[in-house]
Amino acid sequence: MKKPQPALLVTWPEEGVRRIPFEVYSDPEVFKYEQEAIFRGPIWHFLGLEVQIPDPGCYVLAQVGETPVIVVRGDDGEVGAMVNRCSHKGTPLAFVPSGKVSRFMCIYHNWCFDLKGKMTAAAFERGVRGKGGMASTFNKQENGLQRLRVHTLHGLIFGTFSDETPSFADYVGADLIANIARVCGRKLRLLGQYSQAIPSNWKLYIENVKDPYHASILHAFNGVMKQDRLTMEGGIVMGSKGWSHISFSKMDFETGGEVYEEAEMRSAELNIYGFGLRDKSMTAVWDDFGDSVSMTIQTIFPNFVLQQLRNCLAVRTIVPIGTHESELRWIAFGFEDDDEAKTNGRLKQANMMGPAGLIAMEDGMIGGLVQRGIAGSLDKAAVVEMGGHGIEPIPGSRVSEGSVRGFWTGYRALMGL
Amino acid sequence: MGIVIHRITESQARQLISDYTYTIDDGSVSNWPTYFTDPCLYRITTRQNHEMVMPLSIMLCDNQAMLYDRVEAIEKANIFEPHYYRHVLSESKVVDKTDTTIHMETSFICVRTMLDGRVTLFATGRYSDQIVLEEGRCLFRSRVVILDSSKIDTLIAIPI
Ligand code: FES
Ligand SMILES: [Fe+2]
Repeated sequence: MKKPQPALLVTWPEEGVRRIPFEVYSDPEVFKYEQEAIFRGPIWHFLGLEVQIPDPGCYVLAQVGETPVIVVRGDDGEVGAMVNRCSHKGTPLAFVPSGKVSRFMCIYHNWCFDLKGKMTAAAFERGVRGKGGMASTFNKQENGLQRLRVHTLHGLIFGTFSDETPSFADYVGADLIANIARVCGRKLRLLGQYSQAIPSNWKLYIENVKDPYHASILHAFNGVMKQDRLTMEGGIVMGSKGWSHISFSKMDFETGGEVYEEAEMRSAELNIYGFGLRDKSMTAVWDDFGDSVSMTIQTIFPNFVLQQLRNCLAVRTIVPIGTHESELRWIAFGFEDDDEAKTNGRLKQANMMGPAGLIAMEDGMIGGLVQRGIAGSLDKAAVVEMGGHGIEPIPGSRVSEGSVRGFWTGYRALMGL
Repeated sequence: MGIVIHRITESQARQLISDYTYTIDDGSVSNWPTYFTDPCLYRITTRQNHEMVMPLSIMLCDNQAMLYDRVEAIEKANIFEPHYYRHVLSESKVVDKTDTTIHMETSFICVRTMLDGRVTLFATGRYSDQIVLEEGRCLFRSRVVILDSSKIDTLIAIPI
């Protein structure tokens, strides 16, 4: 049951979601309440990829807000998820990030749990030589691990703590389901993973992802790559209630994308950057999905990103750690039927992502800069009015912060702000 | 005229590793490509990906043009707070040696200093190098940077 919300944490400006009170990025009470109202609340949280746990007993650790979670494939092949906390005193049952087990045995007093989280045994349950043992009131059936409700879709695993969470389809909406099918519809092949320390509140990162307005401005490299410039054909698609989104752009794969640009804009940009790429292997791209859509960035509220940057495919999760600290977890993938040339192409294009990402590097640090700038001004608010006040997408345009306002619409609803 | 050296020596390889380190730490990133053959391999990965035999890199260049593209991106396109590295290296270990190639491994720690004075232990790990002699010059045919932690700093703008 949801506890009553503590005395109003933040007074939201009367303009609504076109103002973001800076306090929400810095206040420890807000951070604390997010854990309950959002991360343990009615959301679907990304837990991992099915290819990470191919066989029964394979598990991978995940993090839902502050709660550690084990994602495991059961003996029946089904994917399950449970809190990584022994029912006895709370010790984590697994602390190696991934592995293969036949059961979970706690190191502290050897309580044992099967792959579904059911308690099967405890050390000295019947005492030693007939003396001692568990109290007669103790019942193993009541001491299984806390489970999450799980939904898998095209190899992506999501989980939720709340009984009130709507079905996944209702939660994200048909267009977003279709894009997951589009990007993850074939058998995935894992290419690798890493995580990146983000020196800011998690919401500053996800807002950046949902903000196409900055893409051709902050990331000069997009100009060099002739990629994701706002002069290219594209748009924003909103998920259910505007909480989640897709931003996309198209290119002509035959000509390298130039047909969608306006001539003056292109020459102006080339003058600024003063160079093009010498090596063509990063720009040797192909139309993965046969629809000329060269870029899709999809979010699922609150903190999941599915990325298609040309042929560079990845999922990202921004894990909140503190008011001013988060961890961004990246997993890159291709497809099982990729030939060597395609795999190599994806690996080269991975130069665009991550802490050294020719495009992504500015995204990692910008939130930290914002947080430095707003220190001392927590009674003030950000002004988010590009593209209007609402969350309706502008057809054919990505010069809008509508998807950012959509995130805050969901945030306010769950936080009661 | 001039002396043609046919066999690569350990001391030449050690000198290359040392020169590379000072070039990076001095901030002369534009000279970075001159330490590599063409084609070549420079990549940064993590111990976790390395051990799981996952091919993903944090940075990957496999020829001179890609190295120069990276330099130009750093100098002209990417936006980041200016900073400096200071590498401290271990004695290098010879893993394998032929007349023309030395495979060496070297541990490092790298400290990063921002202009406002923030100093952080930025990265630790090891270099796994294939060093060759080309036209009398010692060069990296391959330099793989294997970071110990799979949680990486916010930003790796400058190569390690
Ligand atoms: S804490 Fe797990 S068995 Fe005691
Ligand atoms: Fe960005």
